[in-house]
Amino acid sequence: MEDLLKILEEVKPGVDFTKADNLIESGILDSLSIITLVAKISDEFDVEITPIDLVPENFKSAETIYALIQRLED
Amino acid sequence: MTYTSYLYFFGFVGVVYLLYLIVPVKHRWLVLLAGSYAFYMFMNGFLTAFLLATTVSIYFCGIHIGKIQDKFNIAKKDLSKDEKKVLKASFTKKKKGVVAIAVVINLGILLFLKYFNFFAEQGNLFLSMFNLHDVIPFIHIALPLGISYYTLQAIGYVVDVYRGKCKPETNAAKLALFLSFFPQMTEGPIGRYDQLAPQLVTGHKYTNENFTAGVTLILWGFFKKLVISDRASFIANTVFNNYSSYGGLTVAVAIMAYTLQLYTDFSGCIDIMTGCAKIFGIDLAVNFKQPFFSKSVNEFWRRWHITLGSWFKDYVFYPVSLSAPFMKLSKKAQNKLNRFFGSLIPSAAALFVVWLGTGLWHGASWKYVVYGLYYYFIMLLGMLCEPLFIKFFDKTHINRNGKYFSAFRVFRTFILVNIGMMLFRVNDLNDFGRMFAQLFTSFSINDITSGSMFKLGTDSPDFVILIIGVIIMLIVASIKEKGCDLKIAVANSRLLIKWPVMIGLIMSIVIFGAYGDNYAQVASIYAQF
Repeated sequence: MEDLLKILEEVKPGVDFTKADNLIESGILDSLSIITLVAKISDEFDVEITPIDLVPENFKSAETIYALIQRLED
Repeated sequence: MTYTSYLYFFGFVGVVYLLYLIVPVKHRWLVLLAGSYAFYMFMNGFLTAFLLATTVSIYFCGIHIGKIQDKFNIAKKDLSKDEKKVLKASFTKKKKGVVAIAVVINLGILLFLKYFNFFAEQGNLFLSMFNLHDVIPFIHIALPLGISYYTLQAIGYVVDVYRGKCKPETNAAKLALFLSFFPQMTEGPIGRYDQLAPQLVTGHKYTNENFTAGVTLILWGFFKKLVISDRASFIANTVFNNYSSYGGLTVAVAIMAYTLQLYTDFSGCIDIMTGCAKIFGIDLAVNFKQPFFSKSVNEFWRRWHITLGSWFKDYVFYPVSLSAPFMKLSKKAQNKLNRFFGSLIPSAAALFVVWLGTGLWHGASWKYVVYGLYYYFIMLLGMLCEPLFIKFFDKTHINRNGKYFSAFRVFRTFILVNIGMMLFRVNDLNDFGRMFAQLFTSFSINDITSGSMFKLGTDSPDFVILIIGVIIMLIVASIKEKGCDLKIAVANSRLLIKWPVMIGLIMSIVIFGAYGDNYAQVASIYAQF
């Protein structure tokens, strides 16, 4: 989780990702930042994120993103 | 049979609706299918064959993808994690092949019918440099109604089956209904299979709420189209067709009139069609969310023609961005350049594909290519300047989201969108250049004081009606912006509110609608795409 929070901070500095739980609806993450985020996550965690994974439910918060990574690692 | 005609509403929708209510709930979808095909064949004749070809092709592709997936599910049992990974890659390749076939067939039909003459013209132009004239012949075939919309729906369906988002449809007739549902055949919205298909095949019982909400939305759509759009078109047409005769201020007003015409025409038609579907108990996808309240061009495109933007996002932007070459580019850029450019370059490259596609989707012409790329460059400029903006706001302590600065951003977006609309409306790019220059070279307040501005194919009462119409629309938009679904609110309101609203809308359309002997019928703009 620490690594993910670091990546999120790099992509969108100044957001408290431990508390934010509506990253998509609030506009913190848009399609462009999601692509940057996905590239970094794929690199760091060695997982393959496909377009089917790019749904708002998976990117609502740091926790849901982390759950997605864990699912893909299995 | 246009969607604003008596024939459409009383001769077609009315009959289909009565049959829908008479037939047992379980079989009601068959009425929608028969009605949709009757409408399509009436409008298109033999061109219906193209719709059928698309339906058949994606039906078999969907089924085939499903079979490959089933085989994989059986074969992967008792395999280790690594073995599963290898097997999955092999089956994914097979599924991708089927998706490619579906895309080639359907995009091929669209490209051939819509763009062949454009490319033939460019080819002939090139060959004429070598003294080879008119080598490539033109084709003379009408474009099937709604092909730009149903082709995207069809491709979306196959990709969704491939991605496992939905199961392949085993009943070809149900798939045929998804592609042909009559309210969305003229101008969309572009539906998604998982959201629309279940609603279509489930029979809906009559409810007062659905009926009243549907009728309210239809009336509101007619108000936008007949009272505002068709009236604004007089001003836009008069000036755009002879712009060199007018001063800069009048040209600026005509550009805004065209923006108003396009918005109320397109969103009005969508309201009418969404209302039509609603009386059957079916919710079509939302296509507009108060676009002129947007603070940036990016936001504008998230609120304007939403289903087109989200289609390009899900089926072009994400797959292109996540493709191996783009991921490689992304990693390379992040390693070799700084963090900012590392993120910017791959996104910019993927966005270029999206906006080129969006421009070309609107039509086979260079002006539409420029139209798409215009928005691309604005967005790119915004992305490039973002670090400078952040520094600027930090130093000046201006609150970017404050009331006054937000108002400025809305105004700035409105101006940028109007320039885009001008590109959309002009006959060619030369006209755009001349007309744009005219905005600055012959700008004079005399256009207002002399009264000439109020005689642009309209008279003063027309102008007043237009302004009142816009004010009403702004009030409605403000209420909707606060999250209120007005059609449902009206449907569930007391009779003392419901009836005055309905009667008010009917009376304003009857009295102030631009129809009858003095007005030529204005064809819907987005229906031609």
